[in-house]
Amino acid sequence: MVDANSKFTCLVPRTGPVTKFRECRRQFGGVREAVWLVLNLYKMAGSFEKEQEVLGIIEEKKLESGEGDRDMAPAAGNSIHRSGSRPQLDVSKAEIQGNVEEKYPTILLPNQSDDLSHLALDIGGSLIKLVYFSRRENQSADDKRKKSVKERLGLSNGNRRSFPILGGRLHFVKFETRKINECLDFIHSKQLHCGGLESRYPDVTDQNGIIKATGGGAYKYADLFKERLGVSLDKEDEMDCLVAGANFLLKAIRHEAFTHMEGQKEFVQIDPNDLFPYLLVNIGSGVSMIKVVGDGKFERISGTNVGGGTYWGLGRLLTKCKSFDELLELSQKGDNRTMDMLVGDIYGGLDYSKIGLSASTIASSFGKTISEKKELEDYRPEDISLSLLRMISYNIGQIAYLNALRFRLKRIFFGGFFIRGHAYTMDTISFAVQFWSNGEAQAMFLRHEGFLGALGAFMSYEKHGLDDLMVHQLVERFPMGAPYTGGKIHGPPLGDLNEKAKVSLQISWMEKFLQKGTEITAPVPTTPLAGTTGLGGFEVPLSKGSTLRSDASALNVGVLHLVPTLEAVASEGGTDDAQRRGDAFAHAFSAHLARLMEEPAAYGKLGLANLLEMREECLREFQFVDAYRSIKQRENEASLAVLPDLLVELDSMDEETRLLTLIEGVLAANIFDWGSRACVDLYHKGTIIEIYRMSRNKMRRPWRVDDFDIFKERMLGTRDKKMPHHKRALLFVDNSGADIVLGMLPLARELLRRGTEVVLVANSLPALNDVTAMELPDIVAEAAKHCDILRRAAEAGGLLVDAMINTSDSSKQNSSSVPLMVVENGCGSPCIDLRQVSSELAAAAKDADLIILEGMGRALHTNLNARFKCDALKLAMVKNQRLAEKLIKGNIYDCICKYEPAS
Amino acid sequence: MDLRKGQIEPILDPNQSTYVYHLALDIGGSLAKVVYFTKDDDYFVDSEEGISNKKALEKSNGSRQYPVLNGRLNFKKFETSKINDCLEFINSMKLHFGGNQEQEIPGSQPIAVKATGGGAYKYADLFKERLGIILDKEDEMDCLVAGANFLLEVVHQEAFTYMGDQKQFVQIDQNDLYPYLLVNIGSGVGMIKVEGEGKFERVSGTSIGGGTFWGLGKLLTNCKSFDELLELSYRGNNRAVDMLVGDIYGGMDYSKIGLSSTAIASSFGKAISDNRDREDYKPEDIARSLLRMISNNIGQISYLNALRFGLKRIFFGGFFIRRHPFTMDTLSVAVNFWSKGEAKAMFLRHEGFLGAVGAFMSSDKHGLKELLANQVVQKAPSKLSFAVDKIIHGQPDGDESIECSVYAA
Repeated sequence: MVDANSKFTCLVPRTGPVTKFRECRRQFGGVREAVWLVLNLYKMAGSFEKEQEVLGIIEEKKLESGEGDRDMAPAAGNSIHRSGSRPQLDVSKAEIQGNVEEKYPTILLPNQSDDLSHLALDIGGSLIKLVYFSRRENQSADDKRKKSVKERLGLSNGNRRSFPILGGRLHFVKFETRKINECLDFIHSKQLHCGGLESRYPDVTDQNGIIKATGGGAYKYADLFKERLGVSLDKEDEMDCLVAGANFLLKAIRHEAFTHMEGQKEFVQIDPNDLFPYLLVNIGSGVSMIKVVGDGKFERISGTNVGGGTYWGLGRLLTKCKSFDELLELSQKGDNRTMDMLVGDIYGGLDYSKIGLSASTIASSFGKTISEKKELEDYRPEDISLSLLRMISYNIGQIAYLNALRFRLKRIFFGGFFIRGHAYTMDTISFAVQFWSNGEAQAMFLRHEGFLGALGAFMSYEKHGLDDLMVHQLVERFPMGAPYTGGKIHGPPLGDLNEKAKVSLQISWMEKFLQKGTEITAPVPTTPLAGTTGLGGFEVPLSKGSTLRSDASALNVGVLHLVPTLEAVASEGGTDDAQRRGDAFAHAFSAHLARLMEEPAAYGKLGLANLLEMREECLREFQFVDAYRSIKQRENEASLAVLPDLLVELDSMDEETRLLTLIEGVLAANIFDWGSRACVDLYHKGTIIEIYRMSRNKMRRPWRVDDFDIFKERMLGTRDKKMPHHKRALLFVDNSGADIVLGMLPLARELLRRGTEVVLVANSLPALNDVTAMELPDIVAEAAKHCDILRRAAEAGGLLVDAMINTSDSSKQNSSSVPLMVVENGCGSPCIDLRQVSSELAAAAKDADLIILEGMGRALHTNLNARFKCDALKLAMVKNQRLAEKLIKGNIYDCICKYEPAS
Repeated sequence: MDLRKGQIEPILDPNQSTYVYHLALDIGGSLAKVVYFTKDDDYFVDSEEGISNKKALEKSNGSRQYPVLNGRLNFKKFETSKINDCLEFINSMKLHFGGNQEQEIPGSQPIAVKATGGGAYKYADLFKERLGIILDKEDEMDCLVAGANFLLEVVHQEAFTYMGDQKQFVQIDQNDLYPYLLVNIGSGVGMIKVEGEGKFERVSGTSIGGGTFWGLGKLLTNCKSFDELLELSYRGNNRAVDMLVGDIYGGMDYSKIGLSSTAIASSFGKAISDNRDREDYKPEDIARSLLRMISNNIGQISYLNALRFGLKRIFFGGFFIRRHPFTMDTLSVAVNFWSKGEAKAMFLRHEGFLGAVGAFMSSDKHGLKELLANQVVQKAPSKLSFAVDKIIHGQPDGDESIECSVYAA
């Protein structure tokens, strides 16, 4: 580490930090080192935002695997190092002026749409691949609070805003090269070529007048782009881009790589630190085999001239197919036995088992056509196509394996336009690799295989490349337009772009989308949409870590109908516009689900958490910012009204009774959950207090999982032994209303009273009726009106910044209280994946010694079996019969109080 | 193979005083190969003469062997689809009876003939029924290797390299032959690591072989025979159908990765244009492109396998080659290209008959022994071995017969 730093320091004055980062990474190899270096780089550049995001990654390890202490060492070192590197700040800052956020902090305009930034193209012979990045700024959050939290967490960084993890997306769009005008229209309509900022910041254009591009078409169509969009294409080397794209995908994106054997897709988790070396086999017209040993370090070691072009070329000559896809389609119905000479044909149906060849092994591709007195026309094009496909795929797999063996490369990744996610092609290649390696090697494929080049070109932007995206770990997981076009050409739902000339850009894409939506012929379950009450329950009995089975039938309808259209529409006041968007949402989401039914792995490995997140993302896509807004408000108000009474009651109890009552309160209040069908029924039947009372009555100990006594011992100690209070507690909160107000807040108050700092961790974006980080300060402020403990803690934590309390008197008083803080988790899902959290949360987690996870989504569906390095308490009421049976062999409304001391 | 040519070969003329004493078959997917021994008419070697004769063979164990018989090994091939021609030929020559008409005894036990190749199973009934002979199946790979070993060890100037029209015979030290890679290009391709007599392993192969060339070629051109297709390829230019590196990079070399502009980037990659159908391409060009694609691919996979097992020599055999200069040249170029000049492709003069020769060698040469027992030596020899005197140049496509002496232990 010290070496790395010193090296870096001497490198800085010459070139910009990002470039240096790349260089450093090349020199030092490991991602961790690189991440580290970039910390320093951005520090000097004065961009603390980047630092936090990097910290997020490092911290996340602590949460997940508990190996945090070691990892944190560099970060701690950093903060010391920071001031030391200040003198170099000027130089570096000048270098990264291209950083739009840095230069134009006013980007934080409320209500603006996507800020589209970089665009890169890969213009191939048949397809144009387009990658662009959009960053969202839809919450101009309470900066004062944030600032205060950051100061608290030792992250003071001036006015910089940190972006939640959902703040950016990479979009992948394809066009056919012969319809290049559609592509140009698309770029123009989204203003991608000028960073999407042209209208607001005209002076940005000069630096954005260049688009990175690769592929042969980057040369061929350079003039067209200049003429139509006024931009120059900056050509990047094809192979460089390919490798850069593959490296990025494999390192940054979960479930990017998968194996495909006999129709079974299996995702492979690759440790980014153990990625290299690998063999990248790019099957385009020809085939290139590239040994990749690091970022930017690769060598083309082999290849073959028998590739996609051969398939298509021979296929065209032998069949009447008009397109590659048509040829590929044909192969699905083919039988290669009519063309190929099999081992069985030679040995009269017997295996030649002595050398391990089964009767169905192809001895000679097309070998059977020799002996027959048939003309070309006498053979089925389907059979020809399949025979060709097998011949070529098999051959590529074999040569790839031999090369991997030769250079001792343990992994082989196949990409390129030939594969196109075609199951049979992948199976054939996999089979070949397995066959020739005697099962020792496996072929792997990439979900974004077609976009390697475009991504690589995207990464080649100096100012905005791989580096910060890597640490964001963000991707567009759910391409919203995809289901409507069969995932083929168009990306975002833009309808027919050719009509663009006639209509103004202002016309809402929603209108077009609705038109398109009516044309859908996908097997969409439409009936439930019309009369749905909005919500299904968590009907799929999925617990933590389990994923959707790959057979579509396992997708339970209960989840599939989780289409809260009515709530969504109501939240927007039930206007016509809201109604239309609601319909559009319903169509889109159903189409997504239909696609998932057909191809469960379409969006990578999806667990229930991802499915729920997808729904929220889909809602946001249709501008339903918060479908449960009014419900949440109503519940919060009602709960806040009874809070003072509850607090009085609590304060009259002794310590032990109070602790038990508090935990009971959390569990009982957890019933207010719009994510549970059972609870939604309860909502419709009774009043809020009745339900609450009913659930409290169920609170008879022992609970189904009951570690309360251990927890109590840790909190209160025993007669002989006093326990120190926790230093900082992270409370992962769940629902709005009673859950937060009457459950978690009183518990937080108790912790504060005992001298523990409390960090309330809430969603960055709305999901169901979950409380968000945006809403929490108001709730806390309201609660603080009735409670001194909460008020002082909230002031100390910067949640209450009120002129009234800003006197010297009260500030003195403030210092006597430990702070209550609110931190966003970077998620917009009812569940939480601790590997992908906000930088704030990661920073807050650093000093935490108690974690409390509350609710089904965060404590059961995910993280139930997660082990933490600090004390952890998992609290939830099980509101689904099947889940209860499966997880705890219990019943609906059973409670879980799982306490695990620091391990 | 043109059968009419075969029929006027002198050795096949029953009126000549040439006798067939022994034969073996290799019936592959597309071709059936026959190897048979004919005795030189009037030349029997008696022991006395043998000693003075320089043909005495010094064996490693110090014992000497003496030639007892001189004759020829003859090679003949048929298309498997015309298996009847083969049956007819054998029948007409009475090959299976040792060719000695006098020895034919009606009603005698069926005669066993060594045979290999998949057809040895497939056509076993046919041979039994039509000729009354039992095909004694020998393992294909065993025969292939035994044949190659025999030819490489015993036949002078059997192996040669072929690059840019230059044929060069390679003298192989019999003691430094192993290990080597034997690439047998038949309908499919088998790649065998050979480490010694009877010591070998099939390490790889590919389904893109001679059958693919002929099969695809037949579909794409109107050729009626393999030879015609080969002939066509000789006149073609693959640039019309193949996408070359230069086509992609605007005529420039992509020197960064060491590819010249004439390197094939994608075989048949140029045949994708919308407005050209199969009829618009010259059959010659298609044949040429096919040949290059297949040869190149075999050369590459062979080299990779040789490299993998540290084998310094690669011998190509099998019917695909047919000593066709362009095929050999392409294979050589491929090996040369992928090995960066470190490895050389070598070919065998009797490439098509490895399996048949092997089957021949595997037999106990019953016919020969009988012949010798009756006519030459007092006691039937327990073991016979062959030494080659010279190759009789006959057909240019590999079926040169070999003049040889038979030695008795």
